[in-house]
Amino acid sequence: MDVLDIARLQFALTGSLHFLFVVLTLGLAPLVAIMNTRWARSGNPVHEGMTRFWGQIYVINYAMGIVTGLVMEFQFGLSWSGLAHTAGDVFGAPLAMETLVAFFLESTFLGLWIFGWHRLPKWLHVASIWMVVLTAYGSAFFIMVANSFLQNPAGATRVGDHLQLTDAGALLSNPQLVFALPHVIGAALFTGGMVMMGASAYHLRRRTPDLELFTRSLRTGLVAAAVGILLAVAMGYAQFSVVPEGKFEGNTGAGIGLGFMILLGELLMFVVLLVMLPMIKVLPRWRWTHPVLIAMTPLPFVISILGWMAREIGRQPWMITGELTVADALSPGLTQPMIAMSFAGFVGVLAMLAIVDYVLIVRVVRRGPVGTALGARPAEPVLSY
Amino acid sequence: MDIVWLAVFSALLIGYFALEGFDLGVGLLLPFLGRDRDRRDAMIGAIAPFVLANEVWLVALAGVLFGVYPSLEAEVLLALYPLVVVMLLSWVLRDAGLWFRRRIPAQGWRSFWEFAIFIGSLGLALGWGMALFALATGSLSWTGLALGGFVAVAFAYHGWTFLGRRLTSFPGGGSPWLSAVLAAAPAVIVLVGAAGYLLEHSAPSATLTTLGLMVVPFAPIMVGAQVLVWRTFGKADRMPSFF
Repeated sequence: MDVLDIARLQFALTGSLHFLFVVLTLGLAPLVAIMNTRWARSGNPVHEGMTRFWGQIYVINYAMGIVTGLVMEFQFGLSWSGLAHTAGDVFGAPLAMETLVAFFLESTFLGLWIFGWHRLPKWLHVASIWMVVLTAYGSAFFIMVANSFLQNPAGATRVGDHLQLTDAGALLSNPQLVFALPHVIGAALFTGGMVMMGASAYHLRRRTPDLELFTRSLRTGLVAAAVGILLAVAMGYAQFSVVPEGKFEGNTGAGIGLGFMILLGELLMFVVLLVMLPMIKVLPRWRWTHPVLIAMTPLPFVISILGWMAREIGRQPWMITGELTVADALSPGLTQPMIAMSFAGFVGVLAMLAIVDYVLIVRVVRRGPVGTALGARPAEPVLSY
Repeated sequence: MDIVWLAVFSALLIGYFALEGFDLGVGLLLPFLGRDRDRRDAMIGAIAPFVLANEVWLVALAGVLFGVYPSLEAEVLLALYPLVVVMLLSWVLRDAGLWFRRRIPAQGWRSFWEFAIFIGSLGLALGWGMALFALATGSLSWTGLALGGFVAVAFAYHGWTFLGRRLTSFPGGGSPWLSAVLAAAPAVIVLVGAAGYLLEHSAPSATLTTLGLMVVPFAPIMVGAQVLVWRTFGKADRMPSFF
């Protein structure tokens, strides 16, 4: 493989890895915020248990979102300096907004939420998690603005050898953005819901003591999954009105991604909306359904990656459609030993950490709400979870 | 507008050194002062509520680098390529250490991730010294390790004064303000030298204005959030720590 292939593979692998954690973060954050709000209003210990248990899973997942995101952000400068050279004046703006404003606030407020338990006034603590949700979705917006610009460089004009921002409004209302953003948000809610259902089904199947907590969680998860898949499929089809003609023709990778995403997405939509949703009352009790729910948990992650394959491989050979090819965007001084070293480092370390992170999440799920470290009181024995 | 953005860039870099400096310093001190498990828990627990709010200063700095100095970003990162890769991996390991350390109660597991916190903090401290040295001299060289050593010592001292203020059982002393100045000094010196060069390489004024208009409404919330962190966690207490 030459330098270009390795650099592309590096970005594809770290980007996919990043999204696996991001999609769950975006899906779980609003659900945890709703649980926390309910708890603040009701004082009900079941709501507290839900907030802490799902919150713990959310934050362990978030940790990997941060570290994979850092590596992604710096790859633009390390491997793809042609992008900054040609379109830095345009592409840099949403990226700067994402890091400077959205992520800055998200991480600061998440710190306040994680460590502010029993320290912050109750409603300020609730406000912190809602700020986390708001800024996480702000991040998603700016990243999708940047990605949509690559798909369709709206709002920019070519001046000499580079693109200049001429219409910020057009950049923010890119047709490649208006359907894709809700599509991604739908996929995230679907993922969050499916993970909640799978984990709840595990406990209900094994008849662990927290029957009420997981009964409620399973139903919450089902509602989120139903809303999510409906939004994702509707906005998925809406995108065909703005996708350039012939995008998927003769492009095997993009075609496979698109085909299997549609196949799996539609199948799941029918199962969730027509089979599971009508069963919402009995699903927590019908234990024979639970192994199916557990087995379905990985599917939203698979579909998410297929969707990005369709969108990103579908853009080849362009980095910025019609303006800059991927080959031309490659950093001029990048040599084989350099990219090989960073590939081994980034992909190796991040893959190892991702596996550790998933093992930890599975352990938290299996252990259940007893001894959750998140939100523990001083007197409460913590089992280091 | 380019002056304003230079001020923002400088504030973020100096703020990162002054704030994340004590987090990394405590990571550096961990194997030397963390005699037993309780002491290590106390040391990490002391920085825990601040780490997330502190490390974002660098993430924001990278965002400004891409948005305001797009031509420099690629140039600088590419010139420092191997160093940037090592620093990123150090950062990733330090963070993973903090998040993972207390998730499984086995001694070997904790020791492994405590070592990751130390190595990650060391890699970042030495890396920053080498990076600043390279930016000042124009080329990456092993001589920069000397500045790396200074940064590591300054961070460790900053961590020491922070712990002294934070933990009653800790013998540390000295003013955290003074150690913050010391920790940020190398960054300040390089910034003073590079100010002209940065101004010359700013993005076009239309981009700077657009970015400025987008950031301004959020600036009070960003400052407010950082202030809230210090107001909430400024006084040490006995709450169990997640990290």
